[in-house]
Amino acid sequence: MTRSPVGWDVDSPVQAEVFVVWLDGDRIQLTGPDGPQSWILQLGPSEHPVEVVDRIVRDVVGPPILVHSTSWRRDRDAVILSFVVVIGPELVDGMASVPIDRAELARSQPTVAPADIAVGSVVEHGLRHLAWLVQDDPVVAAELPSGWRPVLAGYIPEPFRSLGQEAHR
Amino acid sequence: MNDQTVTNRCACGWEISGTEDDVVDATIDHGRRIHNMGATRAQVLASLRGNGDGEGDARSAAEAEAG
Repeated sequence: MTRSPVGWDVDSPVQAEVFVVWLDGDRIQLTGPDGPQSWILQLGPSEHPVEVVDRIVRDVVGPPILVHSTSWRRDRDAVILSFVVVIGPELVDGMASVPIDRAELARSQPTVAPADIAVGSVVEHGLRHLAWLVQDDPVVAAELPSGWRPVLAGYIPEPFRSLGQEAHR
Repeated sequence: MNDQTVTNRCACGWEISGTEDDVVDATIDHGRRIHNMGATRAQVLASLRGNGDGEGDARSAAEAEAG
């Protein structure tokens, strides 16, 4: 006799959504322990989100290069903190990956959050955030392997690209 | 001892089938390692039995855990 599955899921009021990304030549790939999909972590009331994401990624995938929170939204009856986690290609080791395509951002009203936010928009926002950080944050600039900079340049709005390049001359 | 095969599926796509004890242990381990969850046996059993065929559902998770 077999009983059918009911499903098992994270249900804490605050959750982390981890996007594990790596650079494959000049393409950014999305991966994770269950493939290229949202990787949801439970966050307890006394836990620091960054510490949890770093620890779980380190245990399951390996040591990350960067762990950065890039946005939040309400979904799944919770507040979801989105993280972009950059890993080196040597850690992918058979995890399924897909190239990340560009996506439209979910735009807010002046005082109202977007009604619906697709995962692709969250990833796009995360990579635009990373593109800004690599120009503005010396830690990110130092830690991110050099191959990322030209790829992330495509995520910077065009009027600002030259400003960033000036800053790093 | 419950010999029936049970299956549990995580929202992430991970799935486990086996005896109830095996499925509970694997679910707790998966939740802890992959999702930072601190689920108890009682919580997993309650989840498994929430969609069961009725057999054994009358037992509470706490009773089941106590054996």
